[in-house]
Amino acid sequence: MKNTLIVLFSVIFGFSLTAKDFTVSDFGAKNDGFTINTSTIQKAIDFVHEQGGGRLIFETGSYVTGSIYLKSNVTLHLEQGATILGSTNPFDYIKDAKIGWMSMIFAVNQENIGITGKGTINGRGFLTAYNMVNYIHRGIYTDPLKYDRPNETNRPQNIYFRECKNIRIVDITLRDPGSWNQTYDQCQNLYVDHIYVDSKSYWNNDGIDIVDCDGVVIKNSYFDAADDVICFKSHSAEHMCQNVVVDNCVGRSSANGLKFGTVSRGGFKNFKITNLTIFDTFRSAITLAAVDGGEIENIVIDGVRSINTGNVIYLRLGDRWAKGKKPYMKNVTISNVYAEVPLTKPDAGYNYEGPVEDLPRNISPASIVGLVENKIQGVHLKNIQIVYPGEGNPLYAKRGLSAEELDGVPEMRDAYPEFSQFKELPAWAFYVRHAEGVSFENVTFTAKKKDYRPSVVLDDVKDVSFTGLVVHEPESVGKQQVFSHKTSQLIIK
Amino acid sequence: MKFVLICWLALCLPWALQGKEYHASLFGVKSDGITLNSRSIQKAVDFIQEKGGGTLVFSVGRYLTGSIRLKSNVMIELREGAVLVGASSPYDYISVGGVRALIVAEGEQNVGVFGKGVIDGQGKGLVASLTTQIQKGYLPEAISQASPALVAMKGCKSVTVTGLHLQDAAGSALSFTDCSQVALTDLWIKNQAVPNMRGLVQSNCVDLVATRVMNDLVASGKKP
Repeated sequence: MKNTLIVLFSVIFGFSLTAKDFTVSDFGAKNDGFTINTSTIQKAIDFVHEQGGGRLIFETGSYVTGSIYLKSNVTLHLEQGATILGSTNPFDYIKDAKIGWMSMIFAVNQENIGITGKGTINGRGFLTAYNMVNYIHRGIYTDPLKYDRPNETNRPQNIYFRECKNIRIVDITLRDPGSWNQTYDQCQNLYVDHIYVDSKSYWNNDGIDIVDCDGVVIKNSYFDAADDVICFKSHSAEHMCQNVVVDNCVGRSSANGLKFGTVSRGGFKNFKITNLTIFDTFRSAITLAAVDGGEIENIVIDGVRSINTGNVIYLRLGDRWAKGKKPYMKNVTISNVYAEVPLTKPDAGYNYEGPVEDLPRNISPASIVGLVENKIQGVHLKNIQIVYPGEGNPLYAKRGLSAEELDGVPEMRDAYPEFSQFKELPAWAFYVRHAEGVSFENVTFTAKKKDYRPSVVLDDVKDVSFTGLVVHEPESVGKQQVFSHKTSQLIIK
Repeated sequence: MKFVLICWLALCLPWALQGKEYHASLFGVKSDGITLNSRSIQKAVDFIQEKGGGTLVFSVGRYLTGSIRLKSNVMIELREGAVLVGASSPYDYISVGGVRALIVAEGEQNVGVFGKGVIDGQGKGLVASLTTQIQKGYLPEAISQASPALVAMKGCKSVTVTGLHLQDAAGSALSFTDCSQVALTDLWIKNQAVPNMRGLVQSNCVDLVATRVMNDLVASGKKP
C-alpha cells in the first residue's frame, strides 16, 4: 500500500511568543462561581484584541459566563484550578446567526486564537438543557421537542469556531456541554493536544467534532462522551475534512469511537490515525460512513485497541441526503487492531447510555457495506485480531446462508448508518457486501463459544483475498468459516 | 444634609394601556439579588412585545440586572417590595444617545416603568469599579460619561414613569432626550450615591410633565 498522505501544518504561531498577558479579574470578572461575567469577559477579549493580542489569563476560581466571542490573536489561558462555568440560563446564550447553533465560546472568521492551560471549561449543560425544556413547555421558547429534548441547535456547546485559522486547544479539560461539545467548522490549521474531555451530561454530547476542516492534529487526548468521541463531519458539499492526523488518543462512548459522518456531504481525505484506544463503547470503535454524497479516500488507521466495545469496524456507503451526488470510499487501510467484543452492554452504567435497538439480533460482525451500484473500493486489513463472544442463537435471531436469505439482508440505503441497522447478519466476525478489492492479511477471528453462523460472509464482492486467516471457534471442526455469495476473484491462501 | 425638593404639579396624563400581565418568574428571572437577570429580563421584554405588548410584573424581591432595552408597548411594573438592582460591572451597561443606563429605550413608544417598587443603581460600587477600570486604561471614557443612569430614553413617545423610588444611580436618575409625551408622576428620587448627580436630565423633549417628583440629592463637598 502506498501512502499518498500529505499533511501540512503550521503549528507554531509567532504571535504566542510576543504576546502580552492580561488577567480577566483585572477587568472586574468575579471568580465566585455565581456572578455572570459575560459582558466583562467579552470586554476583556475585545480589549486584548484591540491591543494587538495576547493571553487573557483566568486565575484560580470559577467564572460564570454566557456566550462570548473569541477574537483574533487572543488566547484564553485557564490556569490550573480555573474553571469557566457555563450559565445554566439558556437565555445567557446566543444562537449565532451564521452558525445557527448556541455556544459558550464562539469564534467566527478569526485567526491565531486558542484556549490553553490546565483549567476547565464546564458547560453545566444538563441544567441548561432542562431549563430550556421548561421554557419550551411554558411557550417562552419554540422547539418541537423531538424525542422530548430540545433540538441540538437550541442547547449550548462549549466551543464553536467557524471559518477560523490557526487554532490551538491545548491542555484544557472540557466538561458537560448542553449539546455537542466542541465544534471546529471550516477551520484551517487546528492543533489539539493533551486535552481531557468528560462529555456525558446530556443527549448528543460528543467528544470533538471536526467539520470540513483542512489541517488538523489531535493528539495525546482523552475523551469520555455520551455520543461520538472523535467525529469528523462534512456539512458542506463544497468543503471536506482533509489532511488530518490523530495520534495517541483514548476514547469511551455510548455511540462511536472514531466516526466519519453522519452528515457527510463533501467528504474526508488524507487521514492518518495512529495509536487509538476505544473502550466501554456502545457502537463501533471505527465508523467511516458516507451517506450524503461524500468522498472518503486515503485513510490510514494503524494501531487500534478496541476493548469491551460493541463493534470494531463499520464502513458504509449510503444514499441519504446526497441529492444525486455520488459518494465513494476507496483506499482505506486498517492495521494492527486488537479488539474484544462483549456479549453484555459495553456502556452499561455510564451516563446517557446508548439506546437498545435493532433487536432481535445476535452479536453483530464488523462490516463493510457499500451500495449495489456503488461499491466500496480498496480496503486493506492487516494484522487484525478480534475476539467475539460467539453464542449466536438461531432461535433468537436467524439469518441463514441461502441465496434468498442473503439477498434478504435489507440494503438500508437511506437509513441512518449504524453497525446494527441490518439487525441479524449472517456472519459472526466479518460481513462484506458490495465491495471491490478487499484484502485480509494476517487476520485472526476468535469466538469464545460456538456460533450458528460462519465467521465471514462475502456478498457481491469482487477481488477479495485472505492471507493467513485464522479462525478459532469451539466445537466447529470442519465448519466452513468463509462463505461467499455472488463473489468473484476470491483467494484464500 | 441638604434636601432639594422640587415639586411640579401639573396635569396627570392618562396611563398607557397596560395589556396582559406576565410574571417575571415565567422567564426564569430570579429574585435572590445575586443572579444576574439581564438576559432573562430582556427575553421577557422581547417576548411580550412579540405577543403584542403587556406588562412585565416584578413582585417582592431583589432583581439584579444589567441594561435592559425596553420595547414598544411593554411596561415594567415593580410592585411594592420589588427592587431592580443595578449590576456592579460597568460592562453590563449599554447606552442610548451617549447615556448608559439600567433601563434604556430608543425610538420606542408606549413604554414605561411603574409601581411602588424601587430601582437601585448601587452607584457607589459601580462608580468604584468604573474608576478602577478607567485608571487601568480599559475604559476610555471619562467617569461622568460612563456612569449609568437608572432610566435613559431617546426619541421615545408616550413614556410613563410612575410611583417608584429611584435611588443611588451612578449617574443621573432619569435622562430623556428627544422624547415626547413623557409623564413622570409620584416619584421619589434619592440620588445620593454620587455627589452632584441629578434627578432628571432632559433635552429637546416635547410635552414632558413631571408631577409630584421629589428629588433628594447631594451637592459636592457636603457629607450626606
